[in-house]
Amino acid sequence: MKKNKIEDKKSENVLTLSNVSYRYYDAEPDEYVLKDISLTFDEGKTYAIRGRSGSGKTTLLSLISGLETTYEGDIIYRGTNLRKIDLDEYRSRDIGIVFQSYNLLPHLTAVENIILSMDISKINVEDKRKKALDLMESVGLKREQGDRRVLKLSGGEQQRVAIARSLSYNPNMIIADEPTGNLDKETEDEILQILTRLAHDENKCVIIVTHSKNVAEIVDVCYELKKNDK
Amino acid sequence: MTILKNAWLSITRNKGRNVQIGIIIMVIAIGTSVALAIRNSAKSLIDSYEDQYEIEATIGVNRDTMKENMKDMAPPSTDSSSGSTSTERSEKMDDMRSAFSEASNLTVDEINSYGDSDYVKSYYYSLSVGLDSSSLTKASSSSSSTTNAGGNNNSKGMTGGPGTETSTTDFTLVGYSSISAMSDFVSGNYTITDGSVSDDLTSNTCVINEELATLNNLSVGDTITLYDSDSTTNTITLTITGIFSENDSSESSSSGMSMFTSSANTIITNTNVINTLTNKDSSLKVTTTPTFILTSKDDIDAFTSEVESKGLSSYLTVSTNLDQIESSTETISNVSGFALTFLIVILIIGGIVLFVINMINIRERKYEIGVLRTIGMKKSTLTLQFICELSIVSIVALIVGAIIGASVSIPVSNALLANEISSQSNKTSEVASNFGMDKQNGNFDHVNGVANTQAFDSINAVVDIKVLAELLLIGLLLTIISSIAALVSIQRFSPLTILKERS
Repeated sequence: MKKNKIEDKKSENVLTLSNVSYRYYDAEPDEYVLKDISLTFDEGKTYAIRGRSGSGKTTLLSLISGLETTYEGDIIYRGTNLRKIDLDEYRSRDIGIVFQSYNLLPHLTAVENIILSMDISKINVEDKRKKALDLMESVGLKREQGDRRVLKLSGGEQQRVAIARSLSYNPNMIIADEPTGNLDKETEDEILQILTRLAHDENKCVIIVTHSKNVAEIVDVCYELKKNDK
Repeated sequence: MTILKNAWLSITRNKGRNVQIGIIIMVIAIGTSVALAIRNSAKSLIDSYEDQYEIEATIGVNRDTMKENMKDMAPPSTDSSSGSTSTERSEKMDDMRSAFSEASNLTVDEINSYGDSDYVKSYYYSLSVGLDSSSLTKASSSSSSTTNAGGNNNSKGMTGGPGTETSTTDFTLVGYSSISAMSDFVSGNYTITDGSVSDDLTSNTCVINEELATLNNLSVGDTITLYDSDSTTNTITLTITGIFSENDSSESSSSGMSMFTSSANTIITNTNVINTLTNKDSSLKVTTTPTFILTSKDDIDAFTSEVESKGLSSYLTVSTNLDQIESSTETISNVSGFALTFLIVILIIGGIVLFVINMINIRERKYEIGVLRTIGMKKSTLTLQFICELSIVSIVALIVGAIIGASVSIPVSNALLANEISSQSNKTSEVASNFGMDKQNGNFDHVNGVANTQAFDSINAVVDIKVLAELLLIGLLLTIISSIAALVSIQRFSPLTILKERS
């Protein structure tokens, strides 16, 4: 685990992992995927979590996003232990998750996918459609693309929709799991620019799980997980 | 609102899947509405029957008691010490005859007492006396004595009447307290061939058998005079208003060897005429046959107990026409039973198919569940959305199914019950004919044993509000059962696992 870049900029801590360990329920007692991981994440910064396959990157992301709850140690979000938080509300309001495979609902249009997220988060927005279209524009999509079914969009466009969806309820953190894994270099750069802008301009805490060296180089902090790190 | 919106979006964007579920629900709805319609129609028809075939209680000989007493008086076995002597048996027999004779002669006061009951809607009775006539020749093939039983022995309404006794008189005058009491006409045993039965039950009128009329060259409008053989001054003159024939079957004849029917010497009038005679001679032997119309078939036992507590002799017992009514509605009950079986089968099979289809659909929608759970949709909200989707599809399918079912169930149920309607309609017409009246002119709707064909017209309205309400209830039940698949799956699926599998 190493720090890539450290900025002197004062920023508020958003998330802290304290001695977090995780093993599969059917694993041997000492067979941990993650062992005593302690990390901090601040707002306004981009983070990369790197590591080889099987090092526990996606597992760590699952723990942070509250999708996996059977861990040891503590995960503290804005001073509150994640175990004491309604994880559904946490995922619908406080964090935005961007997946490698986009995970959009194929029977809905781009705008409908974004509005659905707003509906789930119960965010109070007067014109959800307008906000959705604005968000699409902010991630480099045309407004006309809003009424297309997501399957009629390219991979890069779908990923932009996924980012727009994750921003729709203005979360504090954006967690991205290999967000550029399925994209070409040019699109990867554009997506990374968007994520960086979100951290630096909109004060979000952006955590990117990646294999990519390119990503690791442009983020503010890079944590590297080693396989069987005990 | 969000749930509804998402449910609607999901339905409209996944038409194929929802049409598939809708078709299954629609088929269930069609089958269910047909079955419910048939069942409800059959039930209303049975109710209609029960309303019109009123529960009639009569008082007749308690043959069980009689048999028991006869056993007690059986001849002694070879062991003379164990049996009674012939003198004792004779005395017992005389006692029994005396008691039976006394008990079987119900008085009008007793009938009024029994009829004054919360369980009795109305009651009527017939009185019969044996009389002679100097101007009439009785219909007899040989002897001068006639066996009379207050009318026809085979009469439905008269069966169980208290007492059949040998009379030495030539004629039997039977007086009825109402048109309804004339059960031989109601049942079709007697049919007017000329004139009609007078509906003025206070007049000195009568109807006579056509054999007696022919023998004495009598016709409608003629008068006959009868007298009490014990008091020749006690006479009555009656005007003939109608001539009837008895169904000329061998079974209806009291004697297989008689050249005349059993009612040949029966003269039918009203109770007022009999009362006039008995007022002049109180010793005149009158046989009374009561009929009580009970309020409900559930009151039979209570009425019996009440009558017994009011002093009904143990030689007499209460009997009803319940078996007859139930046998006449047996066919309809069978149709109703068939509809119920069909309903249960279609609900079980439909429910299972719907459950399985939903399970398959839910599995196909695992990815959607995973995504929605990942972006923070609560399990309860997701379950509600799935139930909402299924409910919308169910309601639409139920409406379409009910409309199709309504159009199909009417001809189906009518076809199943058509024979019943037809036979009952014919029966009413026949009864009117038996009285020598048109069906339109006489009120035969509530004459015992006669169904009112007017009520059967309502069978066309088979799919009514009740059926729709039941259909809706069943639809909701099926939706809930089917939703269990969604409920279980949503609780069981881990979003992380789903998305990993997807990746």
